[in-house]
Amino acid sequence: MEALLAFTRPPLDWHALAPELTLLAVGTILTLVDIIWDEKSKQVMPTLAGVGLLAGLVPILTLALDGTDRAMFGGAYMVDDFALVMKALFLIVGYIIVLMSVDYIRDGDYYENEYYTLMLTSLLGMLMMASSRDLISVFVALELLSIPAYMMAAWRKGGRRSNEAGLKYYLMGVFASAIMLYGMSLIYGLTGSTSFSSIASAMALNDGVTAMSILGVLFVLIGFAFKVSAVPFHNWAPDTYEGAPTPVTAFLAVASKAAGMVALIQLVFVAFDNHEVIQPFFWLIAALTMTVGNLIALRQTNIVRLLAYSGIAQGGFMLVPFAVAGQASERALQAIVIYLIIYAFMNLGAFSVVLAVSRKTRSGELESFGGLFQYAPGLAVAMTIFLAALAGIPPAGGWFAKFGLFRALLDAGGAWAATLGVVVAINTVIAFAYYARVLGQMWFQPIHEGDERPIKLTSALGSALVIALVATMAFGILPGLVGHFGEVAVLSTLGR
Amino acid sequence: MIVTTSWYLVLGALLFIIGGVGLLVRRNPLIMLMCVELMLNGVNLSFVAFSKALGDIGGQTVVFFVLVVAAAEVVVGLGLIVAILRRAPGSTADDLSVLKG
Amino acid sequence: MAGGMLTIARILRPQRPTRQKLIAYESGVDPVGGEWAQSQIRYYVFAVLFVLFDVEAVFIFPWATRLEVYGLFGLVEMAIFIFILVLGLFYAWRKGVLRWV
Repeated sequence: MEALLAFTRPPLDWHALAPELTLLAVGTILTLVDIIWDEKSKQVMPTLAGVGLLAGLVPILTLALDGTDRAMFGGAYMVDDFALVMKALFLIVGYIIVLMSVDYIRDGDYYENEYYTLMLTSLLGMLMMASSRDLISVFVALELLSIPAYMMAAWRKGGRRSNEAGLKYYLMGVFASAIMLYGMSLIYGLTGSTSFSSIASAMALNDGVTAMSILGVLFVLIGFAFKVSAVPFHNWAPDTYEGAPTPVTAFLAVASKAAGMVALIQLVFVAFDNHEVIQPFFWLIAALTMTVGNLIALRQTNIVRLLAYSGIAQGGFMLVPFAVAGQASERALQAIVIYLIIYAFMNLGAFSVVLAVSRKTRSGELESFGGLFQYAPGLAVAMTIFLAALAGIPPAGGWFAKFGLFRALLDAGGAWAATLGVVVAINTVIAFAYYARVLGQMWFQPIHEGDERPIKLTSALGSALVIALVATMAFGILPGLVGHFGEVAVLSTLGR
Repeated sequence: MIVTTSWYLVLGALLFIIGGVGLLVRRNPLIMLMCVELMLNGVNLSFVAFSKALGDIGGQTVVFFVLVVAAAEVVVGLGLIVAILRRAPGSTADDLSVLKG
Repeated sequence: MAGGMLTIARILRPQRPTRQKLIAYESGVDPVGGEWAQSQIRYYVFAVLFVLFDVEAVFIFPWATRLEVYGLFGLVEMAIFIFILVLGLFYAWRKGVLRWV
């Protein structure tokens, strides 16, 4: 009993925690500024938030230069290269979304100050997620990133659609996290520990797959399948994406999905290493998600819904390497990381263009893109590049992401991997069909409602667009760039 | 009669299932919220039971976090529900159909 | 046995439900409005704030029982925790939520 009651101060590595602490500090400052100056502080909020996100990148750079893996709290919190790459991605994505939000939130009927605080809080949860190697910290990180997102989805004041989007997202989200928690309790009961490395070693010892371990692993994976909107757990996504304010939609489709993927990566590659359920589960879910997402996307007439279903399908592509996690674990991990990075930029770019166009047309319908090339050639070309990237046509970035997928599948070999490869190939073709429809609208259709006024890009939205465009093109032309991040992003436990 | 760990585990599983079925069947947002709480408490019970059986304090720590996070979640959920009910009193989840899935 | 008796009684007894019999209180004041009587909205914010701060105490109690052992480190940690909570309270106060309207 005495040993239990003795207390030694846990060693804190301030350097390793610096990115999270920076975000926490900036979030606190935003709240303080809001408390003191209230409405008068509206103008500085986005600037503060943006600067704070960039400031968070500084310690990540120094940590990357330092290069040692740091473990805290008995391995519950790891800062390794994988975590650093993902944290940097989250911060940059957050910065781009702040840029996309500034004018949208200012012009619409929204609470402004809280919006940025909530976004920083959510990003803080994502940063924590990238380092969590323990069931408790994964759960806390998941809720920290989800709860603000529920509110942001319902952010339009008195907007019925927006509130409804928020409530749907909320109900599905809490349902998913309850399922995930039950799975966690089973795994805890089976292995007697909450930390990933002990779970992995305990599972390796208990050979023979029990019903309890299957159920536990499945429940946890299903919980995160909701988060990454994998079919058949995707029902919330299109409604929420359409009803939420568009920058929030981009946030959910990119950052939130990436966070779910990060959690899945850690669970699959560290905790449930080589569990028998994993490969069939992901094979099925990846194939379903790609196919269903793409087929429904074919019928959409609303551009945001189209992007939502395309996002679901892209999520399916990202789930593919999990299905070969056993045979080619390193290649699979690289493929997912590379896909995540490229997907983030190309999708954010597409959403920026949608935001820019809808600022003028006030419509989310596909027809509002009619004849875009004639009055806004720059935007039309940018959108073409982003859609080409999403479809996987070189030289825009997406082809390298798809290439990574096929490389992982080839490395794994075998009939199952080959079949999945065929499914990926078919889906790439289907996806091309609906991306081409948007292209057709922009290039060949008459101008929407004959309104030929040029689109005025605000400087913030313009910067977001340029960053996404440069990144997408750079990844396509110099794939070594993103490939490098994929290669360094090794989980420190992978070489266990 | 001795109450063993498995009794608690079965009760936890039952609570979880009742909550889960309730969430899928009931259409009133408030009741759905209560069902979520039921599920989470089933989880808590099984965590505590495992923790007792294993003689490991970790499971009880999880329960602390689940409790607090659940409270935060419910507060957000109530906020959303009140925001909707203010506009359309007597709403059920079926009325939430402006957005067709 | 008991179930049998109840079943027999159910078959035998006359069933004439009338509106009076079906309302919640057969005698006394007739209920007005739907089952989901609206509590005043102003209670809601206070209730929500109460739940939040109430539950956060879960983290403070274990710390308080072992105050001396955790020493200065524990004190600073808890100060940070409470600072963030108080920030929330100040925020609510500044936004005028605490005013009784």
